[in-house]
Amino acid sequence: MSAHGAAFGAEAASLSAVESADYRTRLRNAGRWLLSAALLIVLAFLVLYPVSMLLLGALTNTNPVVDGFGVFDLSLANFTTVLANPNVHLAVANSLIACGGGTALAVVIGLTFSWIVVRTNTPCQRFIGAVSLLPLFAPPLVAAVAWSVLASPRTGLLNTLLASLGVGWRFNAYSMAGLISIFGIYYAPYIYIFTSSALRNMDPALEEAAAISGAGTLRTLATVTFPLIAPAIASGMLLSFVVMLGIYGIPAVLGTPGDIPVLTTYIFKLTNWSPPLYGTAASVALILMAVTAILVWLQQRLLAGRAYITVAGKSFRPAVLDLGGWRYVTLGLAIVYLVIVVVLPTLALVVAAFRKYMFIRDLAGLFDARQYALVHFERLFSNPLALRSIVNTMEVGLITALVGGALAFAIGYTVNRTSLPARRSIDLIATLPVAIPGLVIGVAYLWAWIGLPGGLYGTLWILALAFVARFMPDTVRALSTSLVQIHRELEEASWICGKGVIRTIRTIVLPLARPGVIAAVTLLFILAIRELGSSLFLYTSNTMVMAVLLLDYYEGGNLGITAAFSLVQTVLLGVLIGAAHWLARGSVVDSGVGRAG
Amino acid sequence: MNPSLFRLGTTAAWVIALAMMGVAPLAAQNFGPPELIEAARQEGRLVYYTANFTEVEQETIKTFNKRFPFVKVELVRAPGGQLITRVKTEAAAGKLSADIIDHSDRALMTDLVDLFQDYAPPNAADYLPDVMISPKLWPRVTLVWSIAYNAALVKTPPKSWMDLTKPEYANKQIGQVFAASGGTTWTRVMFERQVLGEDYWRKQAATNPVLYPSGAPASEALVRGEVTIAPLLYNIVYPKKRDGAPLEIFFPPEGAPINPYASGVPKTAAHPNAAKLFLNWCLSEEGQTFMIKEQGNLTSLKKAPAYPEGFDPKVVKAWVPNFEQYVKLHHDWVEEWNKTYGFRQ
Repeated sequence: MSAHGAAFGAEAASLSAVESADYRTRLRNAGRWLLSAALLIVLAFLVLYPVSMLLLGALTNTNPVVDGFGVFDLSLANFTTVLANPNVHLAVANSLIACGGGTALAVVIGLTFSWIVVRTNTPCQRFIGAVSLLPLFAPPLVAAVAWSVLASPRTGLLNTLLASLGVGWRFNAYSMAGLISIFGIYYAPYIYIFTSSALRNMDPALEEAAAISGAGTLRTLATVTFPLIAPAIASGMLLSFVVMLGIYGIPAVLGTPGDIPVLTTYIFKLTNWSPPLYGTAASVALILMAVTAILVWLQQRLLAGRAYITVAGKSFRPAVLDLGGWRYVTLGLAIVYLVIVVVLPTLALVVAAFRKYMFIRDLAGLFDARQYALVHFERLFSNPLALRSIVNTMEVGLITALVGGALAFAIGYTVNRTSLPARRSIDLIATLPVAIPGLVIGVAYLWAWIGLPGGLYGTLWILALAFVARFMPDTVRALSTSLVQIHRELEEASWICGKGVIRTIRTIVLPLARPGVIAAVTLLFILAIRELGSSLFLYTSNTMVMAVLLLDYYEGGNLGITAAFSLVQTVLLGVLIGAAHWLARGSVVDSGVGRAG
Repeated sequence: MNPSLFRLGTTAAWVIALAMMGVAPLAAQNFGPPELIEAARQEGRLVYYTANFTEVEQETIKTFNKRFPFVKVELVRAPGGQLITRVKTEAAAGKLSADIIDHSDRALMTDLVDLFQDYAPPNAADYLPDVMISPKLWPRVTLVWSIAYNAALVKTPPKSWMDLTKPEYANKQIGQVFAASGGTTWTRVMFERQVLGEDYWRKQAATNPVLYPSGAPASEALVRGEVTIAPLLYNIVYPKKRDGAPLEIFFPPEGAPINPYASGVPKTAAHPNAAKLFLNWCLSEEGQTFMIKEQGNLTSLKKAPAYPEGFDPKVVKAWVPNFEQYVKLHHDWVEEWNKTYGFRQ
């Protein structure tokens, strides 16, 4: 071959190499777009399509399935009516005060206890950590019923006790202070979940540096520790606030007798009206969504441009603070907390479940053994629906946890660990359902999916898919917290060693994020088990779930059976969480939280 | 074997079996022709949509199954407004799975009449024509309002509707279910204004009652002593009294508002015979007697087989709203009620 020919050959080879590299890049780009598109399609089906139904409902005052999709008599009448209604203003103001106050209280409680459990030498930490999550297993409706039994101004058990002691002061659960306290207590574990895993995974070097520089414990906490876990605190705050906004059970039971309307009770009234006003309810829901979108945007702006990577390639153990004699004070604090959030409400439920009827004139009446019997449990289990609803609920919970967990991991990984196109849109769409109250999105799912071919309606799958969509934000957030903390250098090391993306995820990311993944899947399972709002329209005679049956009993005015069924549900959940904990073999199964109901 | 002979044999076998179980023979009451009963047996199940409470309906189903154990009744229960939305949406999508729809708000059911097939129970002629809104829809249950009080806490109990306006019962002693909560409450509210007087609401609201979204939490609050007096549907307080709660219930002399349900069989029912047999039984004298005695209902039969405890038809007059007004006045009057009671809509 001539020199010219050789040069040409080399040029051709280099050109073909360039072309091939170019081809590979294009192929990779196409692959990246394909992945994003796949996620977007799934999210469009699960979130955008039902939300657009909701929007259609809000703008047209029609039922799209009944009146046909062709009826586009668009009008902003529902919005203007809602915005001009002073009662809506009052409900919005009450919601903001109750949820704002509740979130503030939740931060104080949650952060204090995550610090006590993770970073101090307080005795019985594992026990405190595990038990402090218990109140979350009770559905909000049940928690509220328990607290109305304990602290209603006229006949609450605590007030009966105070009266017998001759104390003039009374608890009042039917007040704004009562609402804030119950919200704070029941959503403190949300903050606890987020902050405890962040504290556990935190490199103590900075705290040590602060200590060496002469900063005291409190100053280190305020200036180093808490600012470092700011994303976890902010995520916890945002989610607990938004979740409280969507809770129906607590304001329904405690706010109604105290005449404190909030947005969810207002929406429930609208959906339960004769005839139901879904258009107006959808408008209120869309306003809620707008508020949430602003909050999410604010949170992202606040955290933008700041690095919070605390899990890197080197190993460490978080420093434990020796509290000396004070550790018994923190233990005492934890015990008081446990009594307030676990022991008292559980006792109230036990009293309500075993007592024939709930009239207790005085303290002596409470201990009258003749008033106690198994009658409510007997009635509960003589109803064949009870057992069926338990089996159905477990099935739906499992499907939701597995499908939702996998999807949430795909989304969390795409958003936090890749530069795939449209990942911000994916994040935004996945966050959208957090703002929609279950009662309203339930009807949106019904409208959206009932007409689909393939017989989805009437199966457990339609419930599971609704739960996957509804709890996508919670699961993605819970997962993201652990994903964000894993330093990129670990994945890069894996890639340098020639491992592909999937293999890197399997061998590096998943094992490191295991506590987060297990926590997220367990969380999803619990949320699915408790979910009420979106089940109401999607269940059929064969797919009755526990939450719906529980509401039936509550609405039927039977506190005894409601309490008995709640206890059954709580015990079941306890067993399942224990099993999940055992499966995780030592990983901390931090889970809970709910906006069901 | 000749099919009709076979059916006859099967029916006879059931009569003997039931007689042996201590249940009155079928011949004593007419629940439908043998062909219907046999067809229901073949179908074996039905899907039952109701706005009534689960626990109450489970009791009804259990008693029906003592008579007809071969029909499995699958219950779907939802509050009134939500049930209507579900029915409308399912029907429009061609996926209505209900074999029976049973609803407390007859006005909402009038919009759905076209969904239903022709149906009448064997004792159709025994029913009061005033309570019918369509020949296809039947008053399966008839609920009645009463006044209940916590006997352990009330020293001087009220004796009439007018007593509920007295200042001695002021300051959140009385619990009231708000007007827009559904068809039954709307009936009571109409009665108050049309029978007790134009200014009854104003006088009653002046006692500053506690407002509840439905009778269930109101009745529970009454048992616990959160409120001490409440107008309530008899069927929601009666079981509590029966179980030992310290309640007393009476039917005020000015009248007892009643609310008949509307129940029917959709054209698309997959188990129409089982559905008809269930409705036939519910509407029969046996079914109505069970609902009166065990559940505290009234009946829309011209000749009531029984009355709930304390209901003397010579003293208390049942009050049925004029259906035209029931539909026409709803919106404006509920709005006025809300204003009068300071209820925020």
